[in-house]
Formats: sequence, C-alpha cells, structure tokens
Amino acid sequence: MIGAPLIRVVDDDSLFRAAVARLLRAAGYQVALYESGDQLLQNPSDVDPGCILLDMRMSDLDGLELQDRLKEAGCILPIVFLTGYGDIPSSVKAIKAGADDFLSKPVAKGPLLAAIDRALARYSALRADRDRIGGLRSHLSELTTRELEVFLLVVRGKLNKEIAFEIGTSERTVKAHRHSAMKKLKVRSVAAAVSIAERLGMLKPQSD
Amino acid sequence: MRPVCASALVAFFLLVMSGVATAAPKRVLLLHSFGQEFAPFSEFSAAFRKDLPQQSAGPIDLYEASIETARFRDSQDEGPLVQYLRALFADRNLDLIVTIGDPATHLLQRYRAQLFPSTPVLIAATEQRLIDAEVLSANETSVGVTINFDRVVDNLLAVLPETTTVAVVIGNSPLERYWVGELRKLFEPLANRVHFLWFNELSHKELLERVASLPPHSAVLYLDVWVDVDGISYEHDKVLTELHAQGDAPIFGYVDGNFGRGIVGGPLLSVSAISRRTAEVATRILGGQTPSDIKTLPFGLGAPEFDARELQRWNIAESRLPAGSIVEFREPTIWAKYRWPLLLTAVVLLAQAVIIGWLLFERRRRRVAELESRQRVLEVIHLNRTVAAGALSASIAHELNQPLGAVQSNADTAELLLAGSPPDIDQVKEILGDIRVANQRAADIIQHFSMLLRRQSEVDLQRFDLNEAIADAVRILSAEAKKRGISLEANKLRQPLTVRADQVHLLQVLLNLALNGMDAMSGVAPDLRKISIQTALAGEAKVEVSVVDSGVGIPKEQLKEVFKSFYTTKQHGTGLGLSIARTIVEAYGGRIWAENRTEGGAVFRFTLPLAEPYPI
Repeated sequence: MIGAPLIRVVDDDSLFRAAVARLLRAAGYQVALYESGDQLLQNPSDVDPGCILLDMRMSDLDGLELQDRLKEAGCILPIVFLTGYGDIPSSVKAIKAGADDFLSKPVAKGPLLAAIDRALARYSALRADRDRIGGLRSHLSELTTRELEVFLLVVRGKLNKEIAFEIGTSERTVKAHRHSAMKKLKVRSVAAAVSIAERLGMLKPQSD
Repeated sequence: MRPVCASALVAFFLLVMSGVATAAPKRVLLLHSFGQEFAPFSEFSAAFRKDLPQQSAGPIDLYEASIETARFRDSQDEGPLVQYLRALFADRNLDLIVTIGDPATHLLQRYRAQLFPSTPVLIAATEQRLIDAEVLSANETSVGVTINFDRVVDNLLAVLPETTTVAVVIGNSPLERYWVGELRKLFEPLANRVHFLWFNELSHKELLERVASLPPHSAVLYLDVWVDVDGISYEHDKVLTELHAQGDAPIFGYVDGNFGRGIVGGPLLSVSAISRRTAEVATRILGGQTPSDIKTLPFGLGAPEFDARELQRWNIAESRLPAGSIVEFREPTIWAKYRWPLLLTAVVLLAQAVIIGWLLFERRRRRVAELESRQRVLEVIHLNRTVAAGALSASIAHELNQPLGAVQSNADTAELLLAGSPPDIDQVKEILGDIRVANQRAADIIQHFSMLLRRQSEVDLQRFDLNEAIADAVRILSAEAKKRGISLEANKLRQPLTVRADQVHLLQVLLNLALNGMDAMSGVAPDLRKISIQTALAGEAKVEVSVVDSGVGIPKEQLKEVFKSFYTTKQHGTGLGLSIARTIVEAYGGRIWAENRTEGGAVFRFTLPLAEPYPI
C-alpha cells in the first residue's frame, strides 16, 4: 500500500475512529489515528500525501485553530470536517473555520470517500503549486545582488536609463545585469518576469 | 305619745275579740257507718272535710263518730251505742248531722227522737234504693246515689267481649250481703252470657287464691271488701291493691276513688262531686234552709273513664272503648316528657351534623386541592426536566451520533469486504462485534436520556445510592460539558450513601445545579471552566452534596433570591431550575443553599437525610 494517500483521522471516540479507519483502509487508503488535534500537531508532516478527517467537537482545540497552527507549521494538508451535531450553528461554525468540506455523522461511505477524494485533489494542487514556487525560488537565489537589484526594478516597470540612474551605474551595465538575470530565471519577456515576481510575493509595495 | 299608743292597741284587740265572739262555729257531726277508713266512704268524708269549711260562710266545728257495728252481724243490741252517742253529742247543740252510708242513716232514723230530735239530718253517700223517701221528715234530706251495676257489667263485657267469667269481689258484712242479694237478682239476665262467681263468703287468703286460679277470660268486679267471712275488716283499698299486684285478671269497679289504683275503668261514681254537692246542701241547711225543701237528684255513674296503664296491661285497644270515654294516666310520651331537652338536643345534633358535614366537605375539597397541587408540582417538575432535556438535546444528539456513525462506517466496510474475493470473513466478524458494542452504547445513551423525559403521576420512592445518581448525572452531562469546553468531575465517596427519594428527582436536582453552573461560566476562559460535584458526610445521618463551578459567582444580596421561582438572569431561562431544585430537596427533608467561593465561582450545596445512618 505504499504510495496510497495517508488519511489522518482525529476523533476522541475510539469506536468511531476504529470504524472509519477500517472503512478507509478497505477503500485503499493508509490511515493514521489521532485522539486529538494536539497529538496531530506534535508531528504535522505532510510529506505523505493525504488529508485530515477532523471531528468538529474537539473541546481542547477547535478546527479553525488547528488549521492556523498547521499553516504555521507549513503543513498544507486539507481538512474534512465531521460533526455529530448536524445543526445550523455548527455548520456555520465549520464554514467560518475554513472547512473545505463539511459532513454530518453518521456519514455514508459514498459522501465520505467523495469528500476525501476532493481533499486529496486539493492536496495535489497545493503540492504542485508549492513545488513550482520552490523551483522559482531556487532560480532566484542564483542571481547576484546586483542582478536581483536590477530585476526588482525591471518588474516594477522601470526603464534601463532610470535603473542606471537609481543604482548609479551606466545604462550598458544595467543591460548586462538584466540579460544575465533573465537568463538565470529562464524567462524571455518582461511579462514572464513580472509573473514570477508576483507569484513569489515580490511585488508588495515597499516600505520605503 | 306612749299612753295614746297603748290605748289604741287595746281598743283594736277588743274589736277583734268581739268579732270572733259574734261568729259562733256551726257544729256538724259526721256519722260513719263502718269506721272512718272504709272505701269508698273514707274518700267521701275526706273530701267533705275539705269542701264544707270552704263553702260554709262561718267556721265549722266538725265532729265524727262511727257506729262501727255495721261491720258485724245485724242482730245486736244497739242500746250501748245509742247511749254512747248521746253521751258524746246530746249536749253539743249540733247544727247538722251528716250520715254516711245506709247503716248509720238507719240507726239514726231509729233513735232520732231519743238522740237528736231537732237537729237537721243530711243523708249522704247512700244508695237511693236504701233510702225510704217517705220516711224522711221535714228536717231531713238526702244527697243520694244511684249505682247502675248492670251498666258496670255491660261496660266490662263491651271492653273485654271474650270474658266468660266475672268474679264479684265483695265482703260479707250485712250491707255487703244485702248487695250480693241485689246484684244476684240484677245479673240474672246475664247468666247465659257470662258466669258469675261470688267471692263474698271467702277469707282474705281464700279470696286471693281463688282470684289467682280464675280460668282464662275472667274479670274481677271489685265492689270493695269491708269485712271478710272471718269478720276481719279491710280499710281503704288494701284488697284492691293486693289483687292488682297479683295481676291475675282485669279488675273493674264503680267508684272513681279506685280509679288509678288498679281498676281498668268504666262508668264511675265521682266521690268528689258527691262531696261537693253534699257540702253545698249542708251549707244551705246550716244557713237556715229547711232540709226538706232542698231536693237533689241522686248521683249516677258518670261518663266512662279508663286507666291507660290498665288498658295496655290487658291489651285493650282504645278503639274498643265506648264513645265519649276519657282515658287518663297516659304514660306521657318521651316527647311530652322531655320536649325541650329533646328539641334542644335535636337542634344541637342537627347543628353538629351540619358542621361535621361541612367540615367533611371542606376536608374533601382540601384533599382534592392538595392532590391537584401535588399533581401540578409534579407536572412542573416534569416540565422542568423536559426543559433540561431540551438544553442537553444537542449534545446528546452528538453523543448518539458517535456510535451511529461508527455503525454506519462499519456496515459500509463490511459491504466492501464482502464484495472482495475472497471476502475477509474474520474482519467482518470483528466489525459485527463492534457494531454490537456501538449499538449498546447508543441504547445506554437513550436510556439515560429517557429518564429525563419520563412522565410520572406519582412519586416513585426508593432507596438508592446517591453515588449512582451522581454518576448518572455526570454521564448525561458529559457530552454537554465537552461541547461547552467545561471539565466535569465528581468525587465519589467509597461508602454507599443510601437515601430515600425518587432517583429521577435527585438526578434532576444535580442537572439543574450543574447546568446553572455551566451557564455561569460562558464568559470564562475555556481553560478555567470547571464543574465538580462533591459529596461529604454531614454528621452520621446526613449527606452534603456540593456543585462547585468556576463561573462569575452570585451577587451577595441575591444568594437567597436565586431559589425563588422565576428568578433568572439568563435571557432564555425559565427561572424555575433552582426553585424546583429547592422544592425537591425540601420535599425529601433536606436543605439547599448557595455560597460564593473565595477563589471565584459559586457553590450550591444541599443536604439529604441518609436512609441508613453511617456510623462514624
């Protein structure tokens, strides 16, 4: 079963935990069981692809808090919320908590597996996105300080002449840095460079 | 002044003395035939002694003498008796002689010239047929009596028609013998109807014996016994009294003197009327009227009179009495005797009955009202429980969805497993076991929850361990506590705390207090939310339960107010939870109160008497 997604089931009820684990294993998933959100946070690894199946009523840690702390830990595992209340206040609470999916207990196999599949798809998307940005970051790290300086001004739409004036060098030198940076970042047009800068969060207004 | 007074007194006395002297008493001699004590003459003379002075204008000087000899044999020398009378009364200047009975009359008439030639004579109480009217001089008159003995017997037979024997009780003196002769003749025509027994020639003892041995349907005709065959005389009503006491047969008589003394009754001679008439005539003679001018009709038997007691004794219906009969001596009815006491008693009894009835009615009403109010209290308690159940329903539903969710997942898994080839039967078995466990848990949750919804019309008193009620309360509350992020704990004493109450009621008290505590903690940081239920022995006969919260506490001045009905600080509270907790605790002989904790929060405590005191 190596390679199958790992579903992290968080529920304080051992009976329910065991039953869901059994179902998910029968459906071909790997399962890790946690009694509480705290226990999960002790080792929030998202290395193994998968998602979290979380019982909403966890008095020690509610869903929203768990989500925040996972993000802090850089964990992108999506959460499927389960609740025993099935009433409007708890549904609203779950949606506000950022639930991607919200299920009421008792939940049938079909909706449960469908929700898990959607979560896994989200995980894959997030994972791919994160991998791409990681590639761009490593390209960016190859730029020299001068090249990075020139690149940041280029994506902000400055002309070579303006850049040369700003950093106190000749226009020809700016051209050379610019060419070299574009080469390292494997882009040919200024538009593509702007797109990379934006995805890496480099276009935020500067404090100066 | 003194001499004048004294002389006036003397003059007054002289006047009085002279007045007395002028009204000289009239001397009257009563001459008896048989001595003074023989009925019915004795009654006559007794009445006459009273009547005469009453009717007479002046004072009467009454002498009495009896010739007595009438009791004895007829032929005897009357000389000494005449001399005796002369010696006594010849010089008395008698104004009137009243003879009583035939023997005295005849004796006087025989010796009148010798004894009292000029004294007027009034013949009294003598049968008309014994008075020779033609012999009477101008100086003599009579107030006679006519006794129709046939009427007496007719009456007897009318009243007791079944009578076959009539015993005639009479003495054996000469006069009595005369009457026996007269009556035998008189009763002759009745011989075919009734048998007469003549008891005149009997001794007193024999008489009583004969009367005692009379055949059935006999009656006694009592005509007074003066002298029996042995010559023994009987005064007053001695014989009548004895016959009556013996009670062998009904007794009939003819003189009203015997009426009320044992005779049944019938037409009677009125002794008092004769006496009054005699006194009247005597007064007129004493007043100077010529005796022969005064004519009076002889007295006869009067209207029939009957003695009610005798009628009852001999079973004679009043309807059988002749028309116009007078019935005397009626036994006064209880009503007549005790009219007012009876009336008063009746009124008192009635009043009492009314009061008792009213009180019973009131008591009934009160009982009905008490029952109703008890019912209402139970209803309110039940209502409060359903409110608590409502408050807990969300958490209970979640609690219930856990095993249901497990069952669902297990069933789905089993389906998947069974579809595989080969199916994993071992795991399916494991799943079925888990389904059973989950199902049991769901059943437990429902059972606990349904305790709250149980409607009861009567209190179900039972002995139980209070620890169990606390465990139940914790069980029911745990889901709610978890939902609200409250830690709930209960210390448990090792020894059983046996109390006598309705377990559901005590569970309700614990839930009310705990839910109240939970509500008080909604504004408290999650880490600090804590409810604990603690038990402790308070003395050897009481247990104290405390429900401690870490909420906001209670304003000091409202520590007592919180138990009042409809006191609430919550937007959706009914204000009944604590009030009902108090009602329940007090109903089982306990006490409930609230305190604030120094470290924050409130504690509600209640005590309950232990059904089995715990020895310390």
